[in-house]
Amino acid sequence: PFAPLSTIQDKLSRLALFFSREDFQRIGELAVNPLGDRIINAFFPDDKQSLDFRSFIRILACFRPTVKDKYADPNAAEPINSRSNKLRFAFQLYDQDRDGIISRGELIQVLRMMLEAQVTEDQLESITDRTIQEADLDGDGAISFEEFRKSLENINLEHKMSIRFLQ
Amino acid sequence: MMHPSHRVGIEIDADEITETEEEDDDDGEEEVVKQPVTSRKQQHTHKPPTASKDEEDSSEEDAKFKHRNNRRRPRVQNGIRKNNTDHEDDESEEENKETAKNSRTKTKKNHEVEESDDDSELGENRKRTKKPVHNNNRNNRANTNKKLKDEQNKKQKQANNKGNKKGKMSNGKDKKKKKGKPSSSSSDSSDSDDSLSEDELAKVLEEVEEKKKLIAILRTKAWRMKRKLVTLKESQAFIEKFEGALGKGKGRKFYAYKVMMMKKWIKFKRDFENFKTSCIPWEMKIKEIESHFGSSVASYFIFLRWLYGMNLVLFSLTFGLVVIPEVLMGLQYGSIPRKTVPRKEQPTAMDFSVLWEFGGYMKYSALFYGYYNNERMIGVFKYRLPLAYFMVGVGSFGYSLMVVIRTMTRNARESGVDGDDGDFNFSWKMFTSWDYLIGNPETADNKFASITTSFKESIVDEEENQKDENVHLRRFLIVSANFLIFCCLAGSGYLIFYVVKKSQKYSALETLSWYQKNEIDIVMALLGMFVPPLFETIATLENYHPRIALKWQLWRMFALFLGNLYTFLLALIDQVNTQLAEEESIKNKTLAVINSFNSTNSTSEGIPAIDPADFPRGPCWETGVGLEFTKLTISDILVTYGSILVGDFLNALFVRFFNYCWCWDLEYGFPSYTEFDISGNVLGLIFNQGMIWMGTFYSPGLIGINILRLLTSMYFQCWAVMCCNVPQSRVFKASGSNNFYMSLLLLILFLSLLPVVYTIMTFTPSFDCGPFSGKTKMFDVIMETIQYDFPAFIGKLFGYASNPGLILPGILLMVLAIYYLNATSKTYEAANLELKKKMQMLRDEQKNRRNNKNTVNPMLQDLEDLLPNNANVTKSELDKVVIEKQPAITNGVTKANGKYGKEMTLAPPPLKMVVTKPPNPRQASHLPGKQRSGTPGQGPRRPPPGQPKR
Repeated sequence: PFAPLSTIQDKLSRLALFFSREDFQRIGELAVNPLGDRIINAFFPDDKQSLDFRSFIRILACFRPTVKDKYADPNAAEPINSRSNKLRFAFQLYDQDRDGIISRGELIQVLRMMLEAQVTEDQLESITDRTIQEADLDGDGAISFEEFRKSLENINLEHKMSIRFLQ
Repeated sequence: MMHPSHRVGIEIDADEITETEEEDDDDGEEEVVKQPVTSRKQQHTHKPPTASKDEEDSSEEDAKFKHRNNRRRPRVQNGIRKNNTDHEDDESEEENKETAKNSRTKTKKNHEVEESDDDSELGENRKRTKKPVHNNNRNNRANTNKKLKDEQNKKQKQANNKGNKKGKMSNGKDKKKKKGKPSSSSSDSSDSDDSLSEDELAKVLEEVEEKKKLIAILRTKAWRMKRKLVTLKESQAFIEKFEGALGKGKGRKFYAYKVMMMKKWIKFKRDFENFKTSCIPWEMKIKEIESHFGSSVASYFIFLRWLYGMNLVLFSLTFGLVVIPEVLMGLQYGSIPRKTVPRKEQPTAMDFSVLWEFGGYMKYSALFYGYYNNERMIGVFKYRLPLAYFMVGVGSFGYSLMVVIRTMTRNARESGVDGDDGDFNFSWKMFTSWDYLIGNPETADNKFASITTSFKESIVDEEENQKDENVHLRRFLIVSANFLIFCCLAGSGYLIFYVVKKSQKYSALETLSWYQKNEIDIVMALLGMFVPPLFETIATLENYHPRIALKWQLWRMFALFLGNLYTFLLALIDQVNTQLAEEESIKNKTLAVINSFNSTNSTSEGIPAIDPADFPRGPCWETGVGLEFTKLTISDILVTYGSILVGDFLNALFVRFFNYCWCWDLEYGFPSYTEFDISGNVLGLIFNQGMIWMGTFYSPGLIGINILRLLTSMYFQCWAVMCCNVPQSRVFKASGSNNFYMSLLLLILFLSLLPVVYTIMTFTPSFDCGPFSGKTKMFDVIMETIQYDFPAFIGKLFGYASNPGLILPGILLMVLAIYYLNATSKTYEAANLELKKKMQMLRDEQKNRRNNKNTVNPMLQDLEDLLPNNANVTKSELDKVVIEKQPAITNGVTKANGKYGKEMTLAPPPLKMVVTKPPNPRQASHLPGKQRSGTPGQGPRRPPPGQPKR
């Protein structure tokens, strides 16, 4: 689903070696995306203002399609485009304070961005409660990465979080 | 595709992480390259584990760049460095790598010594200046860019000068500095594809030796045979792969060459893949539509494109093997009666009105069945045209069936991965509902709305699941809606039947009014216009999700359209029967003419006295059938395009421009803009394709017309959608490769296969037109070929094979196979379900245990309280150990565990912790055995609370 990044690729081909946040915001798909800012932020760790090609590629590597490798060495380090790394990328979009859990407040924040304005607070809270109730396995009222992984276990993430041209 | 270099990098890296430095290298330069293990470990702890891998990957990507630009690189870097204002430590790491690499190459290439030496020093200096520059940058953020740059340049120069002064420093000092810096990256090993550093080489060498040893002693190991074999194979593969890398001279060169070729090949493959993607037609168009109208509308266009591709293959088959050979090598127009327009029709044969109806010259052209000659072989190549005609006809069906079924299975496999799981309904909606391909604000608004409604819906659904009375109402509504729709279908079916019957009565009459002539068409058009909206209205009763509603709507309209098809086929078969009867009489007449002609003109041989245009000829029912299908296709195209022009375009124009001077709001009021009608358009396409399949055998040109239609339709409808439709009020998600469309298509394919096969098997081909004229049945052409062109025994074999005694057991065998496969698939399905259930149970159990810990085991808790105080302390300590074991579990959980510490120890840790985590390094893990023996290794450990009485 991150195909709009192809626009970025176009930019790359013109040898613009540095990106700013504005470059990303100019992508229509990111501009209208409620999580667009967070996605952009994921490309600018530590409040950096510009992004060089190398760092960009590093983050983009997460979206390479996964290839089943039957010679895969179980001892080898996990490839960067593995399922769990993809999940971690997604997880960090929701976990804004980087404390390793998606808290209730963070969920409500996301919901507010994703839903229309006329949804009442009550509804927001009930949706959040239900989401947590579903995903929360250890009863701490928040979603940890492990729980996040579990809840998205049946989703074909390798397909969804892959950009075809990065094969 | 394997990536050998990648493998090398990762394996070595892993080795380096776990093992300590063992061998010292004689080369001082190499020391610089090597990473201090401790620093790396630090890095691993304070960075997220992905970061280092990240670097590896990217450096991997850039490896070829470096390789190519090894010489030029430093200069270029300097240039860049001047321009760059802010670099992180990251960058400097890369620099290090660069220099390291250069220095490494130095040992191999002596003539490069000076240069690389300089480089490494320069890199070192740059790194040293790094920190202050960075700080400066931080401080002066308010300053303008230019100022910054200047300043930086100055600094850079100073630093360089300083570096040059200190340039003659000893290697040892350099080395120390390197070791002192914890930020050096761990990835230098991975970019060394063809120039492995010495220690890496040593490691690989060691491993290879190990494997060799293993192979040697494998026979004596007390393993199972299977394991032995697997190990043997793996070791052999490993040795084969890496021995080349270690060999000196030729072997090494060869290995380097191999790696280079591999890289080139991978690059080529990627480029080719890109090329292929850019060759996918209309990809951008469809994407644009998708971002405006959502994936459901895009699925229609993807289906259209797929159909176009399939038709293109059918077209090339038909034209390449039948039409073009006939035109090039067959007899010319006007040479024989079947290739000539009859004298009667000649005056009007070029009129547009006649041509428009595919009469005149069109009818007697290679577009239709009748034009083809029954000569067994044509041209210099002895091309067997009748045989080709038959085989292409059968082959198109075979190909279509194969393609449709293959696409269906592929789609099923793709969609099968995404299982429907009710457990995480809300989580999925929360985390995956946004469509990342939407790039248009309007559509985004719609998506917001649809997400909101879907959340609301699922809340309502959950509530409804708990209520009972609503279920009954819902069921009642569904049943009544289905009943109403069934009534509609039955009514329209009867209407069609009635009209067809009446028209058969009319055909006996002499004079017909315009209405009587076109009654069937009018009724069908009216039905097609008014019944689908009626269905839609009724379907709102059911209140299904729009995706399901679309499916139902498609099925219902499909049933309605089948009536259309039925009347058409019935009329056609009637026509064929009358023509067959007519033909009998003409055949006799023609034979008489030929006989008389032969007897009178036996002296002047070769020159026919009768012009081919004057020759009496039969009605040629095959061409008639082909004509009907062609006309139908053309009228279908016109109706579709017309309705788009009038219904969408003119409506949109009206709404847009009359809105200024109208008494109510047209845009949001009654006429409004139209939505894209997915169900109608998909069914239109599917039925059109059915017509093509049915008609192609009797009119090879039809497929060409269809190609044009699909092509224009693609552009026209894309334009129409973007220009005059509005996005649906409920944007819903549909997969691009919709299996539902495919199953409808498959059904239509089967339905259209039936009449064609029926006509081929039962009717006698016309005696004076078409490639099979003169034969009693069309498939005789196969027999003829076997008889004349194949050796005798094949004919015999064929004779045996066509014996009912063999065919029946064959069919029986197939039925048995289907039964067996069906049974096994059912079993698998059941097993799958069972597993799912088990997983669900496990999950529920876990959840319950977590949530109701206090209530579940009060007995055990009482026991707990009885324990002495110090046991409790041990317990909390143990908890910490448990948490340490799974670093993925985070602070919040730790807190929770602290809170529920008691229960944690009582309830055994859930399965996932045991299964999913790879074993940790020894010192980190908690070894029960060690503890029991009471080793005072890591603090005062007491026996775990599991066995407190020990």
